[in-house]
Amino acid sequence: MRETYTYDKSREAFARAMKVIPSGIYGHLGPAEGCYTPVEAFPFYSSKAEGPYVWDLDGNRFIDYMCAYGPNVLGYNDPDVDAAAAEQRALGDCTTLPSTKMVDFAELLVDTVASADWAFFAKNGGDVTTLAVMTARAYTHRKKIVFFKGYYHGVAPWTQKIDYAGVIPEDVMHNIYVNWNDLDELEAVFKKYKGEIAAVISQPYMHGNFMDNVLPADGFWKEVRRLCTENGTVLVVDDVRAGFRLDIAGSDHYFGFEADLICFCKALANGYNVSALCGKNFLKNTVSGMSYTGSYWLSAVPFAAGIACINKMKRIGAPQILIEKGTKLKEGLIATANKHGFDLRVTGVPSLFYLRIADDPTLMLHQEWIAECVKRGVFFTNHHNHFINAALTDADIAETLDIADEAFAVVKKRH
Amino acid sequence: MTDAKTLAYINLHAVLGSIPYLCELDERARDLIKNEKISLGFRVKGGPSGALCFADGKAWFTDECDSCNIILSFSSPEKFNGMIDGTVTPIPSKGLLKVGFLLKKFMPLTDILSSYLRAEKEALADPVFFEKSTVLMFHLIASAIAQIGNVDPVGCASASYIVDGNIKLAIGDDLALTLAAKDHVLTAIHSAPESFMSFMKFEDIKLARALFDGEVNAVAAVGEGKVRIGGMISQVDNVNRILDRVALYLA
Repeated sequence: MRETYTYDKSREAFARAMKVIPSGIYGHLGPAEGCYTPVEAFPFYSSKAEGPYVWDLDGNRFIDYMCAYGPNVLGYNDPDVDAAAAEQRALGDCTTLPSTKMVDFAELLVDTVASADWAFFAKNGGDVTTLAVMTARAYTHRKKIVFFKGYYHGVAPWTQKIDYAGVIPEDVMHNIYVNWNDLDELEAVFKKYKGEIAAVISQPYMHGNFMDNVLPADGFWKEVRRLCTENGTVLVVDDVRAGFRLDIAGSDHYFGFEADLICFCKALANGYNVSALCGKNFLKNTVSGMSYTGSYWLSAVPFAAGIACINKMKRIGAPQILIEKGTKLKEGLIATANKHGFDLRVTGVPSLFYLRIADDPTLMLHQEWIAECVKRGVFFTNHHNHFINAALTDADIAETLDIADEAFAVVKKRH
Repeated sequence: MTDAKTLAYINLHAVLGSIPYLCELDERARDLIKNEKISLGFRVKGGPSGALCFADGKAWFTDECDSCNIILSFSSPEKFNGMIDGTVTPIPSKGLLKVGFLLKKFMPLTDILSSYLRAEKEALADPVFFEKSTVLMFHLIASAIAQIGNVDPVGCASASYIVDGNIKLAIGDDLALTLAAKDHVLTAIHSAPESFMSFMKFEDIKLARALFDGEVNAVAAVGEGKVRIGGMISQVDNVNRILDRVALYLA
């Protein structure tokens, strides 16, 4: 049996943070939103990262299946991406006149992403999902936006729910929510709000939290596309999370349809801060006329990193590699769980797998197992999909399965 | 962003609904009702109805008020809320001859209740009073969460995301209450659940009080291990959103 990790230095740092930072660590990397249960099982801060690994402040090494919640697609500190970034940094980054790296990056995205005729850059996924919705409203002169329940499109007020702190009813009054894969409901919404729907926004498949991830039903996207086209509604694909882990040409391409607007961020530049909205030609003029920018949105270093990242992902066939590695891990985890009599469900595309032990509807058993994995050096989270990166080796997968096996044994013994 | 109807439900089910727990916790309250066998109904047009019943030295709350000895009827939620505020004097629509109970028993009971729920800083320095006050607030808040989740439009949105099952709310290892969710309707049960889908446990009575008073945030306390959450955490997450609205109504 492995010795389990302890996190004294993380806790000391957190105590300092609590004095000067709201909730210590806010957002998805924080212990509350990250569902660190029990909290003692999880490290809070990293000291370094390399390839598929992250080390915490106490020197514990983890095989990291969260990949910074997606950005780490090639491996932390990828030498090709970092070299490109360093080269550009020596020339200039955030400057009065933008670098032509921006043009190079846009050209590369237009060449790479099947539905892209142009690219607009920002920093975070939420910047470009917001731009997508604003673009749809500006183009159609309509107000309503259709969402699929279980969605996540960022943290701007329009993406949140009416009961979230700081959100007012007017922020979400034009939001319409329908069930994933329910074409009848979607069609009924189009009939009810004929001529009023600016956009349908959706992730390429349902990767919500606390639920098994659900792929699109046969023909689903084709029908959504048809309904949007027939009703003059802009179809927005939020590929921030899944982008380039399914298909280098975009997740709409993977599922056999074309979005009007597609949003990228996480895997775009292997951790360098850039996001992109790509779109069809008929929306380019609309975006051209919009007032939408940010202090760092035209910085050149992330563009250089993005170019290197996309080129390397293309060169190595990253999506296929990630799916293959994810499949190997998925099959191994399921077999390991079965060995101990547990029903582990692994859903979604394997490069973005979601885990749930189905034997216990309360999920407490699942949380126990995740905690035992983390304490032994495999960083899983409880109720969010995971991410595969290209630096993950067969040896890492084997070590993961070994730790998962030990964690299952510990949980089994308790129950 | 509150509404009078929801406040009336909270005032009846959570505020007046906490009188039975007051009678368990406070000797003066017990003395006041020890020889009483009477029921006091509240009927609010466009709002809630229910009754406080007293017998055998105990008090309990029931949703049925037609057969009560005394009935106080209100023409609107605002009027009922006015009674709780002390700006409206109710006149019984039934049981006028029993008005003495209202004046000599019920009013003193509500005064004792107020002393716990709007406690003076000096009173809270007494650890026994502090604990009783916090336990009473715990009962009240659990009931208020259920009312807000069932009536308040924004609270209903939160409840619409809560899957079926019991949510255990606990202070330390000794005190626990239940919020039962079924078809997105919430019911407060003032005892620990036998089984539960999720839990939110406050480290101790001091932390619970700090959370209730808005001095500590539950999200921040999770990182410190002072608030424990587990199980179907989406339930707890949505209950927390309703909990935020409790402060809005009871401020």
